Parts: sequence; C-alpha cells; structure tokens
Amino acid sequence: MTKVGEVLLLLLLPAFVPHTDGTRYSLPGKPTEIKCRSPEKETFTCWWKPGSDGGLPTTYALYYRKEGSDVVHECPDYHTAGKNSCFFNKNDTVIWVSYNITVVATNALGKTYSDPVDIDVVYIVKPHPPEKLEVTVMKDQGWPFLRVSWEPPRKADTRSGWITLIYELRVKLEEEESEWENHVAGQQKMFNIFSLRSGGTYLIQVRCKPDHGFWSEWSSTSYVKVPECKTSSVWILILVFSAFILLILIWLIHMNSHSLKHCMLPPVPGPKIKGFDKQLLKSGKSDEVFSALVVSDFPPTTSNYEDLLVEYLEVYVPEQQELMVDEGKDHDGCLKSIGSASDSDSGRGSCDSDNLLMDKSGAAKEEQQQQNQEGDQIGTETQGPKEAWEKETMLCANEDVVSPDASSKKVKTWPSVFSPVTPYSPSPLDPHNSLEMHKQNCLSDTQFPPGSPSSDHCIKKALQSSYWEVCFNNNQPYPQTDVHQQLQAHSDRNISAINDGNVPSNLLLPTRMTEYVEVQRLNEENKVLLHPIPSGHSREKACSWVGHRDNYSKVKGVNSDNVLLLQRDVVEEESMEMAGAAESCYTSSIAINTPKPTTCSHIALPVQEERVLAVSGYVDTATMFSLDTYVNEMKPVASKANTV
Amino acid sequence: FLFHKWNLLCVVTMCRAVPINDLIYRASQQSDKLHALSTMLTQELGSEVFPIDRVHACHTSSLQTPTDKEQALQVSESDLLSLARSLLQAWSDPLVVLSSSTNVLPYSAQSTLSKTIQKMQEHSKDLKDGLDILSSKMGPAAQTITSLPFIETNEIGQDKITKLLSCFRRDSHKIDSFLKVLRCRAANMQPQMC
Repeated sequence: MTKVGEVLLLLLLPAFVPHTDGTRYSLPGKPTEIKCRSPEKETFTCWWKPGSDGGLPTTYALYYRKEGSDVVHECPDYHTAGKNSCFFNKNDTVIWVSYNITVVATNALGKTYSDPVDIDVVYIVKPHPPEKLEVTVMKDQGWPFLRVSWEPPRKADTRSGWITLIYELRVKLEEEESEWENHVAGQQKMFNIFSLRSGGTYLIQVRCKPDHGFWSEWSSTSYVKVPECKTSSVWILILVFSAFILLILIWLIHMNSHSLKHCMLPPVPGPKIKGFDKQLLKSGKSDEVFSALVVSDFPPTTSNYEDLLVEYLEVYVPEQQELMVDEGKDHDGCLKSIGSASDSDSGRGSCDSDNLLMDKSGAAKEEQQQQNQEGDQIGTETQGPKEAWEKETMLCANEDVVSPDASSKKVKTWPSVFSPVTPYSPSPLDPHNSLEMHKQNCLSDTQFPPGSPSSDHCIKKALQSSYWEVCFNNNQPYPQTDVHQQLQAHSDRNISAINDGNVPSNLLLPTRMTEYVEVQRLNEENKVLLHPIPSGHSREKACSWVGHRDNYSKVKGVNSDNVLLLQRDVVEEESMEMAGAAESCYTSSIAINTPKPTTCSHIALPVQEERVLAVSGYVDTATMFSLDTYVNEMKPVASKANTV
Repeated sequence: FLFHKWNLLCVVTMCRAVPINDLIYRASQQSDKLHALSTMLTQELGSEVFPIDRVHACHTSSLQTPTDKEQALQVSESDLLSLARSLLQAWSDPLVVLSSSTNVLPYSAQSTLSKTIQKMQEHSKDLKDGLDILSSKMGPAAQTITSLPFIETNEIGQDKITKLLSCFRRDSHKIDSFLKVLRCRAANMQPQMC
C-alpha cells in the first residue's frame, strides 16, 4: 500500500510542480532606465534595463510614436546596438521632433509596459571620443614640452558645421598618487603642455562635447616619456661633491680653530700692573680696581723708605731651577726682559717702564725726595729662590708683585731700568743728577744674613746656583739721604760710561742671566743699570769680563745725556774701601759656589761717605746706559754706596 | 555689445566694413548663448523634456524646417538665414508675454525666470539686428521673413509657460544650428571656424 502511495505521489508530483511553478511565474518586470543617445545627430540608439523575467522567457519590444502622429512604430533594429537596445538609423531619425518611446516586456503570462520617454534627438548628442591621439616631445629653447594632437571622431561631421565640437584633454604622471590635470582646448585640435618633469612618463587622454550635448568618453591613453635632462645629473654630481668638500673644510677649520685663532688674532697683551686686577676690572667695579692700585701706605710716610725701594729679582734657573721674574711693574718700575727666552707673559712688554716708574713713583719720589734728597740708592735686584721670592712678594708693599714666570724656566734678563725722573716730580735736587731709588721692602731681610754694612741693609737671596745680593738702603733714611747726596754729588761728574757695546751683548742676552739688579728709580734722566751676577760660567764670563775690564761699579757721574758714567774700578778691595762700611756683597757670591771674588768685584761707587747701597748685594757691572738701554745683569754691590 | 554696430567697425575716426565672416561668427555666438539660456531655464523649471504634442504645438510649428542633416545641408544660405530670422522674429512677442507672466510661477522661480527672460530678450534683439545686416548683404531671398504670429497676448497659465519655454528651446536650437552651418559655409578660407 505504501508503495503504491509513493508511486502515486511521485506521479502526481510533476502535476503539482507546474502548479507551483506557475505561482512562481509572473509577468515580466517593467523595463526601466531607457536611455537614448545619438553620436552624430544623425542616428540614435536607445537602451533599456529589463526587469525580472518572471521565470518565463521574456521578450522585449520598443515602440515609439513621433510628435504629432499617433502611429506607433516598433524599433527597426534590436541587434546593431547589442542586447536590450534599439538602433534608429538615419532613415528613422528625424530631428527637432519628439519621440515618445515605450518598451514592452512580454512573456507567456503577459506584457509589461515601461514608462514612456520623450526625447528629441538634438538634445541627446553624445559623440564618440576623439581619434588619432598623438603626443610628441618637442623642445623650446632646451626645455621639453608635449605637443598633443587629435582628430574628431570619424562619424561627427564637423566640416559642414552640422556638429560643433569642443575638446578637453587631461595629463597625468605615471605615478601612483598623481592626479589628472585637465585642459580645455576649445575647438582646436592641438594643445601644448609645458612644465614637464625630466625623465617622467605621462598619460594623456582627450574627449569632446558638442555645443549642446554630452561629453564623450575619454579616448584611449597615450603614453609618452620625457627624456632625461643630461646636464642636470652632472650638475647634481658637482653640487654633491662640492658640498662634501665644504663639509670637510668646515670640519678641518673647526679642529684647528684654536690655533687659527692664535695665528690670525694674536692675543692682545694686557697690562700687568701691580695691584691691577683684571678680573676685578671685568666685573666692572672700577672703584675697586683703582683702589687696589693705590697703595695704602702711599705716599709713604716718613720712615718707610724701604717700601719704596723697588726690587726686581730675576732668577735664572737653568734646568732645575726656576727663574723668577719679578714683574713688579708697579711704581717700582718695570723691567723689560730682553732675554732670549720667549716670554709667555705677554703682558710684560706692555709695561712702559719708564712711564710707570715715573708715574707711580712720582708721589713716592716726592716723598722720598723730601726725605732722601740726595741719597741715591740703588736697588738691586736679587734673584732668590722661588720661595724666597714669594715671600718677598708677600712682604712687598706691592701687592701684586707677580712673578708669573716663577715657575717657568725661562731666562729672563731684566734690564735695569733707568727711568728718568718724571718731570712732574721735580726734586729740589738737580733733576738731572739725582737718582732716586725706590726702595722696596720687598726683600727678605730676614732671609739673608745681615751682612750688609751697618748702614746698609743688604738683602741677599741665594739661588741654588747663583746668588743675588741686593743691597738696599732700606731702613735708614739717613743712608739714603746720603746716598742721594752722594749720587747727587757725583752726578755732575762725568761718569765713564761703560762700554755699552759689550755690556748689552753680554748682558742682554745671557742665556743664563740669573741675577738682576735693578736700579730703582732714577731721577729724571738718570738711569742706573745693574747687572745681575751671572751664574756659573756665565758668571765667570761676566766676571772674567769684568776682570778684563775694569770694574765699573763706580759711578762717576751723569753726563749731559743723562748717561750714568761708571767709574772703572779695578780693585775690589779698593771698592770695598771705598765703600767703606759697605759690607761685602760677596756674601751672595760666597754662597755661590763659584768664588771669584776678584772678578766679581763689586762696583765701587764713587760715593765714599756712606754706602749708597745698604745692600750687600753688588752690582757686577753697573753699566751706564742711556735712557734707552737696559742692562740685564746683576752685580753685587759691594760698596755701600748705591751703585749709580 | 550692440549688433546695430555690426556693419561698421569704427576705430577713432576710421570706419571700415566688418567682413561677413566675422558677422556670421558673431551671430552664431549670440545664438549659441541664446539657446544656452533657454536650456537652463527649462531645466530649472523641470520641464526639460516637455512633450510637445499635436494639441499643444508651438506657434512656429507651421514653419517648415529641415528634419535631418541631409535636408539641412541642402538648404541655401539665404534660406537658412531667412529661416533663422523668421524664427527669431516669431519669438519677440512671446518673450514679452513670458516676462510679464512670471507671477504665476512659484515664487522661488520667479526671479530666475525674470532675469533669464530679460537676458534672452537682449540677446534676441542683438541677434536680430545682426541678422538684419547680414541678410542685407546676402540677397533678396534672405530678406524674406515668414510671419508666425503669436496669438496669446494676455497672461498665460503655468502650463502654457512651460510649453512656451519648450518651444523656445527648440526654436533657439534651430536658429543656432542654421547659423553654424552658415558659418562653416562662409569659412572656406578659415577652416578653423568650423
């Protein structure tokens, strides 16, 4: 039974199926979107979009009716223009006449009409794209540009004026993110494109539009490659190369900037003024700066002549030893180094010793003159050990006595400065004759045995290799006055001048000048040069030289040219005698290992009465120099009289 | 610009005749502008594709004009000019009526309509003057103007307005087409005009 039922069901199933299929079948859907276009205003084509077919084979038909006629025509050509289209050829096409077009979908179940559409052919013109697009690269004075040319679509009759077309083209670089650049070309069929990128590939398209119609589709793309600009790559290479070289140069300059700076802009020597603090000046407090220059005890009160005595010590330290150079340039005066050794202390040179001496000692001078009117004193420079010197500096009234080169091992030869007395400090004495020495209580009296004559205050400084003795007439104004007097007394005399030639050569450039005696202050024109005792053989040299020549430690007088004339003095005993109570300044020499008492004779000052110098130190050769010359040699001054 | 100055191009004190080619070119430019205005107007009013049926035919429909390209290219220049002038003449009155009937339209469209109609009148007048000069140089056949009277003189309703605008759009296109064909015919020496 069941089996039969199944068979029945199976047989009946097809019967049911059409029934169900029929429910699925329906009228065709309405055709939609009827669009008609005419490419040349002579023919036109209509396309429609079919609806659902309702499950059944559906056919479509297009019917049209012309304006002012009720006759319905069917589409003459369904195939030329493809599927779901209707093509109206020239015979079926009239212009300035409305078409009423309807599309009908038909299937087994029925027909479905579309909405009618009214068209006028002249309003639906959409031409074909332009043809024969040609792009060529041309050059305008070396710069490339594109010349684009094309032809109107074949079917559009522009010659008779039936269709008037206007064109538009667009250009794009062959890159991902480049955009089209549109140009309207009007009615012309040619266009130039400038501002191209060398080596780039361009895409060009063109389209057209009738005067009162629709734009055509874009034509097929034309590709063109702009040739590379050869010169540009060369220039780029040159540019990169020169930039590289420039970088290297800059780096080199940077590395050597320091030395270049020194080469091109040598540092300006600054003033080295005792008591002058550059840093303080930089801070802008001028008051403080200048107040520092003012010595508290200046003008000197009565019994501080020692303070005014200027000492210059220059220590020559060969190899192990250090030279100390006193650069006290304060009112004590300045020494100019004429040493061969280069002087790193550039400031020294700027010290105008003469002026400084005069300026700064002017007041002191006056004071001194008042007190020591005729006394002449010779300050001798002594070189002492560095430490001693430092102590002295401490003692010095000049706060800023600096021996900047103390640590240096350079030899500095200090010429004794004979500074003329400043004109503004007229002394009651004969300005030409009186010599005045500033005494500086700088020397460490304590350090040296007071071998000085009673009236003299000798200050000796012992160097390891050389000794200095500086005889100062520090403490006793009386001797100073004597000295002054003595000096004055002899000032009128002619003083034989020492051979300048030898002295300077010998003295000025001693590689081993170690001792300096500085003659302090001079009266206006007078200068006293003291020579340091040369150490070692130099000393010997000097000594020998001295031995050769006579001892010129005596000052005969001052000639008219303000030259200090030294008197030859052969015998030191004599000089000693002459010096009188002047203590032997050999102490320093004795301390020195090279005894040459004979050679290193002290200068006997013509001043007999009293020591001119209280300093035990002696001047080796006190050479008279003119104002211009300096002597760098120290000699122990044996005579108490100031070496003048 | 004024078309009545077409005939002479005066520079300072010297006047010289404007060549026909230039006149025609100028006329075609005017007609082109005229048609563009009318197209814009119909589009704005939503009657772009207005069905022109027999019942509501244009008052100029009686004028026989070529219906396809072959016919159009066979028309002589004088006839082309005559046709253009006739059509142009036929619309001078309706434009006046149109300009005075804008109040029936929706308020938003009134100003646009008024301005555009005014412009169209200006262009139409200008073109008429130029074509008159042109026809005087082209022989007696060009002088013929077919009268196409416009009956309605009162205000017309909105549907009439839209129909009129549609008719004017077509007729202005005809004028433009005729003149452009004429232009190419006259530009034998200057192919770039076509």
